[in-house]
Amino acid sequence: MLFTRLCLAGALAIGTTAVAMPAQAQEITIAIGSEPSTLDPQLRDDGGERQVNDNIYETLMARTATGELVPGLAEAAPTQIDETTWEFELRDGITFHNGEPFNADAVVASVARIIDPENNSEQMGYLNTISGAEKVDDDTVRITTTGPDPILPSRMYWMKMIPAEYGTSGNIGEEPVGTGPYKFVSWDRGNGIVLEANADYWDGAPQIDKVTYRFVGESGTRLSGLMAGEFDVITNLLPEFVAAVPNAAAVDGLETSVLILGTDNEGPMSDPKVREALNLAIDRDAMVEGLFQGYATVAGGHHINPRAFGFNPDLEPYAYDPDKARELIKEAGAEGKTIRLVGESGRWLKSREQIETVAQYWTEIGLNVEIEVQEFSQYLKSLMGDGPRPDAIFVANSNELMDADRESSFIYHMDGAAASNSDAEMAKMIDDARVTTDVAEREALYHAIFQKGRDLSYTTPLFNLQDIYGMAERMDWQPRTDQKLLIKEMSVSE
Amino acid sequence: MARYILARLWQGLLVVLGVTLVVFVVTRVVGNPVDLMLPLSATAEQRAAFAHQIGLDQPLPIQFARFVGDLVTLDFGESVWQRRPASEVVFERLPNTMLLIAAGLGFALLFALPLGLIAATRPDGPVDRVIVSAGLLGLSMPQFWVGLILITIFAVNLKWLPTSGATTWSHLILPAVTLGLAPLARLTMLTRSAVIDELNKPYVKTARAKGMPARRVLGIHTLRNVLIGVLTLAGWELILALSGYTVVVETVFAWPGLGLTAIQAIQRGDLFLVQAIVFVIAALIVIINLALDLLFKMIDPRIDVR
Repeated sequence: MLFTRLCLAGALAIGTTAVAMPAQAQEITIAIGSEPSTLDPQLRDDGGERQVNDNIYETLMARTATGELVPGLAEAAPTQIDETTWEFELRDGITFHNGEPFNADAVVASVARIIDPENNSEQMGYLNTISGAEKVDDDTVRITTTGPDPILPSRMYWMKMIPAEYGTSGNIGEEPVGTGPYKFVSWDRGNGIVLEANADYWDGAPQIDKVTYRFVGESGTRLSGLMAGEFDVITNLLPEFVAAVPNAAAVDGLETSVLILGTDNEGPMSDPKVREALNLAIDRDAMVEGLFQGYATVAGGHHINPRAFGFNPDLEPYAYDPDKARELIKEAGAEGKTIRLVGESGRWLKSREQIETVAQYWTEIGLNVEIEVQEFSQYLKSLMGDGPRPDAIFVANSNELMDADRESSFIYHMDGAAASNSDAEMAKMIDDARVTTDVAEREALYHAIFQKGRDLSYTTPLFNLQDIYGMAERMDWQPRTDQKLLIKEMSVSE
Repeated sequence: MARYILARLWQGLLVVLGVTLVVFVVTRVVGNPVDLMLPLSATAEQRAAFAHQIGLDQPLPIQFARFVGDLVTLDFGESVWQRRPASEVVFERLPNTMLLIAAGLGFALLFALPLGLIAATRPDGPVDRVIVSAGLLGLSMPQFWVGLILITIFAVNLKWLPTSGATTWSHLILPAVTLGLAPLARLTMLTRSAVIDELNKPYVKTARAKGMPARRVLGIHTLRNVLIGVLTLAGWELILALSGYTVVVETVFAWPGLGLTAIQAIQRGDLFLVQAIVFVIAALIVIINLALDLLFKMIDPRIDVR
């Protein structure tokens, strides 16, 4: 009798405890490398700001985790009315966190504000073809461009939508208000930013309730924070530390490193045989293992991201053939000649190591290489200034819009800021590709451009780097190639 | 005395302006600040428009004249990086650095005096040797390394303290210790040699001969005489810390202070913020210098500050 009573009492106790236990609010802490300079989503080109605001604000078009362009706040992909006008139908019933409706007025205000020269938005580099927007009705808006612009939909994946009233008159730089799955709570400058889940989010409330961002620039300290259990997610984990962390995830990133070769320079660099030799001399696979512990892929003949439009999948990576390279150098009479290799250190992952290793390979095929690792502002002058082009200069290129136009314009087009050639034919090809609206034709043009670039070895493409994130054991997340830190895609398994 | 103070302040102002002028010229002449401030993808028109907007297309003397004119109203311009007044950024971060320095030097002074005293009472004895060696060690270890080691031991392994940030009092401990380690070593060495010197002076022998217990001799007379020297070095450590020695500690511990902000501003080519930081720190150093001199005069009226 007593035993039964005890059992019943026990069962009752367990039962009520189980029922009475409240659902745990899921909270995570993310440590990023730099604090946002502002939380205004339209003024600055700041990775830290995007890492926060990509959860608060949204865009007309969006991308899937693998990079496919799909509708976001827009109902569907836009229709082209004429050469310079695109019409977007907007989704119904979405509101901003402060109650303002998301409608054509909001889109028009967002576009007008970001292209206004008074505001000097740093994002105009991505959006400079957009000339305006006009409301057709509450749910329809037309966006106009300065000329034919085949990648306009992609640009609308970049431009964040702000509320019509608050966006122009409110404290948008310090108290953001968007349509996204997370609402802004507070910004303790220097210490952290807190966001909370938007229960009324149009696509369903997200799983994680509260997020705290911390800003820790020193990678060793960020790693320590993860290992001490203070952080759930950290960005930019170095490849050599992956084994040390409880959990990690890597994804093919946006950055590709490349050496731009001074094809116009008098001396060995003007000879395409020499340039080809420079490419054949490098054992890229060994560098992937040695420098990146396997967390990189060899770039195939050009520095365009494999997920970007215009990427030529048929271009093979240069082979590793040091004997042929030595032969070519001898043939060209370039043995013992000096090459100046310029780069920087600290801004990009392992830039100095890549430069030093490449210089070593080039020395082994018979050249004399002078390495110049410059301070960043000096390096920028070497890269984009009006002075003589360096024989070879290192740069890591990011393909935020996932389209070949910017990267080819920057590095291959003879008038591009970082280009070192005077190939007028290629420049014309790039200009044409920029405005060709026929998708297949445009793609073919880019393929031809990069084939030519590889044949003439205008560059020495190196690696497509992977982004590595460290995580706590309880986190479950597959990061995205476009580097957007979307908390709605993360989940916590307690 | 008032004239003396005014004269010092006037000289200080000239020093501050001189320092600011140097920074002003260097940031505009070395490298292209516009390239640093804008993303790589900016077009030539955008660079020109930006340069015009912040006045960089004017000749250097005109820019400086405008700058000095704005200074009168303490207007350092708008931080290009954070798009808010540069003075706002500086005064937001300055208290964090001051707190860190106060804690670090406080820690250093707290331990330096007793350690130096103990070492000096039996020079070349076993305790003394240990203290001197530890002091040398403290001086040779780079702050960067010390910081990360402390984080690894106390935050990651023992989990007694947080790894980084500045939100609670426990966050202050590791950064303060890291910052204070080298000053601690220097102050200990100085205290030790100053006390040894004092203890060899005739008045000490006289006092002991008269029967004064050793502790009283040390505690009252020796210490007071040594204090000026120690405080002078402490003042120097304070100025050293303020002029940039907090950068490493602030970077390692993600401590949101002025040193970290200065480095970030330099990396981003934010001219106006760099100017504002340099000006404010220079002014602060001038004022602290003056205050220290007056303090010493108060402690020992025999000191001639002129």
